[in-house]
Amino acid sequence: MNDNDSTSSNLNCKLGMKSILPIFRCLNSLERNVEKCKIFTRSDKCKVVIEFLCRHGIRRTHNVCFQESQPLQVIFEKNMCSNTLVIQPRVLAEAIVLFTSSQEEVTLAVTPLSVCLKSSSDEPVDVTSSVYSEMFVGPDEFDFFQIGVDSEITFCFKELKGILTFSEATHAPIAIHFDFPGKPMALSIDDMLLEANFILATLADEPSRASSPQSLCLSPKQKRSEPLSSNSEAGKNVTSKAPECILRKVAPKRLYPKETLTDVSALENCGSPIMKRANGDRSEVSESSVSDTEEVPGSPYLRKFSCMFFGAVSSNRQERFNHPFDGLATASDSEEDMNDGSFSTF
Amino acid sequence: MKFRAKIVDTACLNHFTRVSNMIAKLAKTCTLRISPDKLNFILSDKVANGGVSMWCELEQENFFSEFQMEGVSAENNEIYLELTSENLSRALKTAQNARALKIKLTNKHFPCLTVSIELLSVSNSSRIVTHDIPVRVIPRKLWKDLREPTVPDADVSIYLPVLKTMKSIVEKMKNISNHLIIEANLNGELNLKIETELVCVTTHFKDLGNPPSASEDASQDRNPGQMAEVRIDIRRLLQFLAGQQVNPTKAVCNIVSNKIVHFDLLHEDVSLQYFIPAFS
Repeated sequence: MNDNDSTSSNLNCKLGMKSILPIFRCLNSLERNVEKCKIFTRSDKCKVVIEFLCRHGIRRTHNVCFQESQPLQVIFEKNMCSNTLVIQPRVLAEAIVLFTSSQEEVTLAVTPLSVCLKSSSDEPVDVTSSVYSEMFVGPDEFDFFQIGVDSEITFCFKELKGILTFSEATHAPIAIHFDFPGKPMALSIDDMLLEANFILATLADEPSRASSPQSLCLSPKQKRSEPLSSNSEAGKNVTSKAPECILRKVAPKRLYPKETLTDVSALENCGSPIMKRANGDRSEVSESSVSDTEEVPGSPYLRKFSCMFFGAVSSNRQERFNHPFDGLATASDSEEDMNDGSFSTF
Repeated sequence: MKFRAKIVDTACLNHFTRVSNMIAKLAKTCTLRISPDKLNFILSDKVANGGVSMWCELEQENFFSEFQMEGVSAENNEIYLELTSENLSRALKTAQNARALKIKLTNKHFPCLTVSIELLSVSNSSRIVTHDIPVRVIPRKLWKDLREPTVPDADVSIYLPVLKTMKSIVEKMKNISNHLIIEANLNGELNLKIETELVCVTTHFKDLGNPPSASEDASQDRNPGQMAEVRIDIRRLLQFLAGQQVNPTKAVCNIVSNKIVHFDLLHEDVSLQYFIPAFS
């Protein structure tokens, strides 16, 4: 999204976390010293340039190599879920304390009268060490409570902890959308600054769940190593199918218009580590779709697939945000799923 | 066998949590003995522990508003449970601002100590948290190994200095040597010594005071300046000191020359006895 390159299309790229994190690590010193941060790409060199314009005329430039990637697309309509809970992250954080880090999975059991977070009973019980814990939370502790169907879903505890850590930075409530076991669940955070959706797989009840866990786990990994070749194939296949089931148009998030400088300072003051907007500059943080799969080799139980989507901070370029999922290829395995529209083994 | 108890007072709950944290630091696995008046946390002296043993006793009526137990039999009205100490302390940690805490012995596929906590949340509604801690019931034939240890006739008894100070010193000494000599005399002097080929380091504590001796003869015969010493594994001492988060109300060290060191602590109303044998 170079200034000169106004006709360029969306850039979907991957940046190593180990490269990016150290750049933004020391928040205090960034807030004290940095006046402006510019982020732009140099497509000729496959680099994303992060430039800090600091006080006293100091300019610090970081060049981070990127890899083009076609992230996976998740077809999941969270608003169609029968069960929706909205809760403050603090409440969830209090529940998380109950479980040890050795716990791999937790179960969320809901009825119209109560919500219970408990240790997953599917795990092999080691008599000497594992404590079974459960916490009941009353409906009035939720900001929004809608239970259409009694359900007990089991999902990865580590992911939940990670999501909570993330949400504590935004102080926005977390919305949990889910249905029945086996169907993915969504945890979303909808803040003024960003919208994040975490799609987690849930443990399916039926024994046939062991169908193709390995291939599902490995293929996205393969995708990462050869993004261009395999995805272009998938891309071709995708377009041959009915396009409406693939692309989800998310309403663009119109945030702070360029003129209100006060909003920028509010951004800076709230210390959001994610977005720093260049003042008066049309550079923006391109949305990044990160697909993160955990390989569970040989495990017949849970295919752990989590996918995280960010909605980016504002810009004038509305057209970029009309089709946020454009150009995202689907995982080749899920093409079969798309045929019947079901998503249970994703 | 039955056991149910309830704590409603916040101060009692916090005290019980502190005791549980201390036990978790002192012993990974311990035995909980439940009797009509007391609760004991016991670590028996096995080779696996390095011969260290522990006996912690608390009077149940100082903590529980309700306490009911039924032992193995009428003549043996006690229950011995083996559990992982950390499980209990972690469960109690979630009871920080609880309205009520209930502990009971249950059988859910296997024997458990179920800790049930009623929390009062911000929105004024109750939240119920339950932890099922797996335990192993110890059969009666093994109870003889878990009896209260006899307090040895000490050569020297002395009050300990501030434990935090002791701990920081021992921590540094651990880097130099694996063994430490603890010696004391009836003049209120206590030394912690380490010796290696290259260096000897001694820390001297003075004016500690000695508790009145149990037997008059022994104290009269003994030269007050003469040190009684024991050579112990420094890690055991450090583990003991690390478990004391709060300085105890009373702390006595009894040394039997070249045999064993016995620490006798009182944390408010909870007594803790810790034995570290001489390094052989």
